[in-house]
Amino acid sequence: MEGAMQVDTQIRTEPGAEAGPGGPGCSLRHFACEQNLLSRPDGSASFLQGDTSVLAGVYGPAEVKISKEIFNKATLEVLLRPKTGLPGVAEKSRERLIRNTCEAVVLGALHPRTSITVVLQVISDAGSLLACCLNAACMALVDAGVPMRALFCGVTCALDADGNLVLDPTVKQEKEARAVLTFALDSVEWKLLMSTTKGLYTNAELQQCLAAAQAASQQVFRFFRESLQRRYSKS
Amino acid sequence: MAEAAAIAAESLAGSKARAARTVLGQVVLPGEELLLPEQEDAEGPGGAGERLLRLNPGARSRVRVVCGPGLRRSGDRLLVTKCGRLRHKEPGGGGGGGGVYWVDSQQKRYVPVKGDHVIGIVTAKSGDIFKVDVGGSEPASLSYLAFEGATKRNRPNVQVGDLIYGQFLVANKDMEPEMVCIDSCGRANGMGVIGQDGLLFKVTLGLIRKLLAPDCEIIQEVGKLYPLEIVFGMNGRIWVKAKTIQQTLILANILEACEHMTTDQRKQIFSRLAES
Amino acid sequence: MKETPLSNCERRFLLRAIEEKKRLDGRQTYDYRNIKISFGTDYGCCIVELGKTRVLGQVSCELVSPKLNRATEGILFFNLELSQMAAPAFEPGRQSDLLVKLNRLLERCLRNSKCIDTESLCVVAGEKVWQIRVDLHLLNHDGNIIDAASIAAIVALCHFRRPDVSVQGDEVTLYTPEERDPVPLSIHHMPICVSFAFFQQGTYLLVDPNEREERVMDGLLVIAMNKHREICTIQSSGGIMLLKDQVLRCSKIAGVKVAEITELIQKALENDQKVRHRKEGGKFGFAESIANQRITAFKMEKAPIDTSDVGEKAEEIIAEAEPPSEVVSNPVLWTPGTAQIGEGIENSWGDLEDSEKEDEDEGGSEEAVILDSVKMDAGVISNIGSQDAPIVLSDSEEEEMIILEPDKNPKKIRTQTISVKQEKAASKKPMKKRKKKRAVN
Repeated sequence: MEGAMQVDTQIRTEPGAEAGPGGPGCSLRHFACEQNLLSRPDGSASFLQGDTSVLAGVYGPAEVKISKEIFNKATLEVLLRPKTGLPGVAEKSRERLIRNTCEAVVLGALHPRTSITVVLQVISDAGSLLACCLNAACMALVDAGVPMRALFCGVTCALDADGNLVLDPTVKQEKEARAVLTFALDSVEWKLLMSTTKGLYTNAELQQCLAAAQAASQQVFRFFRESLQRRYSKS
Repeated sequence: MAEAAAIAAESLAGSKARAARTVLGQVVLPGEELLLPEQEDAEGPGGAGERLLRLNPGARSRVRVVCGPGLRRSGDRLLVTKCGRLRHKEPGGGGGGGGVYWVDSQQKRYVPVKGDHVIGIVTAKSGDIFKVDVGGSEPASLSYLAFEGATKRNRPNVQVGDLIYGQFLVANKDMEPEMVCIDSCGRANGMGVIGQDGLLFKVTLGLIRKLLAPDCEIIQEVGKLYPLEIVFGMNGRIWVKAKTIQQTLILANILEACEHMTTDQRKQIFSRLAES
Repeated sequence: MKETPLSNCERRFLLRAIEEKKRLDGRQTYDYRNIKISFGTDYGCCIVELGKTRVLGQVSCELVSPKLNRATEGILFFNLELSQMAAPAFEPGRQSDLLVKLNRLLERCLRNSKCIDTESLCVVAGEKVWQIRVDLHLLNHDGNIIDAASIAAIVALCHFRRPDVSVQGDEVTLYTPEERDPVPLSIHHMPICVSFAFFQQGTYLLVDPNEREERVMDGLLVIAMNKHREICTIQSSGGIMLLKDQVLRCSKIAGVKVAEITELIQKALENDQKVRHRKEGGKFGFAESIANQRITAFKMEKAPIDTSDVGEKAEEIIAEAEPPSEVVSNPVLWTPGTAQIGEGIENSWGDLEDSEKEDEDEGGSEEAVILDSVKMDAGVISNIGSQDAPIVLSDSEEEEMIILEPDKNPKKIRTQTISVKQEKAASKKPMKKRKKKRAVN
């Protein structure tokens, strides 16, 4: 898998240097998505990016605990369950990132005093896990019919030691990378909904990663559209 | 950083709004913008033809457009909030744009809507009201007086766990939903407690809408198989009863399977069943 | 969230159907639902589907020191989680009775039956042994969790490979999968649970009850057995009285079912091994187990993304972006030892719903610190408005505050008490100014 991932694109990182010549190097791993595969949740989706896989289940708008009730909008909860062991700090932090992303697109005001719960289960982690979680959450929310302002997707970029940009990195690429950046983008204007980064990078590199993520997001949204069209092909 | 992204998005050329007319019956996704014929006139292509047809192009006739489930208005823009197929119904008067637009989605979770007929399960009796589970985010309330012929003396016989077929008198996002089992004339009109036999099962809301469509061939076909009693709740619940357990089970399984079959597949199934 | 209640009419119908030997999904009394086993790309990872019930199993291992009374035995640990994904009524982080019961039953079925050779997990007696951890996650609950979980556990254990180790003297060397092939666990036998639901005080019996059947059953008998027809554990719950004959009949049925399931498991494991070791890179993992003909599923091959113009775009943006406003210009040295860069923004950690309470529990001291920092901030801002105004530094709200003058005239150090309200009023104006500045930007 890693071998096949060609990374030819050399993007210059020094500020002031000419823009990188670029090439057809970056690619997303193969994607797969299955919706409505669980019978109990109101919406569910499993999302695969290469060997990374996340299963998402959504309940909502459903009954809410009095203590968590918000009078003018829906209470949005995101639970992320690791594959081994109990959820820890890393999961809590990701839950929060995903929750904030969902909060930005879900029209919670249409269902006040209800709860919308997104449960994410990591099935396998082979890199770009957060992006995969975001994609799974989005598809499950769509499957549940939760009203949304726009679709969203997650894209992870990695910058290796030489400043090469890698989209949708594997675990190995993430480990070797100097910086790993994950963005959540919306489907209407490809605006940034959330970003989280790790490692060192320059301002120019950030913008390059963002531009690359936006280019990749169009591919992801095309994938969303096609899979949803297929899903409704018999109705 | 968000500002930077916004600038980048501009260069990517935002997703174009599509004319509602041209995407009828197609799959729309949350966030898409739709243009009504009116707006097409102004900005979209192909508006010229329509303009010619209009009698008084100067004064725009006001048309009433209702945006149904899955659509929302934001200023003068029409935005999609749910995934599904876009549907349209001409207004009662006929012609001239307007009418109802909505998105037909296959969701499972029910959200109470005023006037909807639903099947509920009585979960509690407290004083003068029953609490009824309808599959929404909170139980609906049902007064013991909201049955045909019920008076303070003559209370209806309703037990916890019984099935109720009723309609929503009050249902909005801010209030507790309220059900009644009588129409505006005080008649039951088919509503009330459902019999103790028969089978209750759940399907998606989309399937219920399909089955309740006026010219649904599934119901006619099913009716030809066995004599049956059937109740559809808009909340995705179906209660069915035939002469025997076996027949009831067959009917329930057929209706469940209708969800993911094309018309041709359904015809095959029904003809095979009719033979056996 | 509450479970949808079961109506009287469903209950009655189910019981009448069972009397007539009919089940909702068309099964016969002794039929299992379809079992599907799929493996992930990692070793020891599987998903078992029993009808609509789904369980994810993952085995992991770790070198730990053994228990004192069992110095030469590895440790086995089972953990079944009932995720809220599986059913709305399962609450995260709560040890419900059902969960405790299921976990206990799993331990009895798999650990106490000694199906894994724990002595082979010993590396250095009394010092280092392998701890094998089996995590099971219920993904969708449609009845008969225990059978699905026991199958998932044993399949995951059979599929698992632990890293190879070697011991030379006191030194323990752990080999990565590249250096030496990982080794499978030694498994003596495969215990599998078979559930029997009893109705009408034991008059009727069903194998593999689904969720609705479980809700109307009177009692449950679980028999764990291996293919040699050795009973590993047996448990009757629900308080029904069974006759000896009934138990014997159940154990006979269990024997047949276990043989079938074992065969299925072995076939699935062999299949996975075959694709995994195929030379030309056979495809395996969950991606392959998604049925492509379903309309709810969709796949996309590896997609190249044209990133050639990324560099230009980034430069464009950077070029277009206005240089950051004067905010972050120079550090300001207020007094010797107190410097400031920028204005800072509001603390957004305050609205963490869960952690907030904990913070409060820990004591008010932290909050005081936060208040202080805000106050300091306010003081600093007011200073920008008029260079002459003093900065306020304090330890608490009501104590005396020392007002430190900027460096220009360090002699004038006074002591003064300022109420919080006054200070807030003072800080309001500059705040507005700051907002306006933002709007212009």
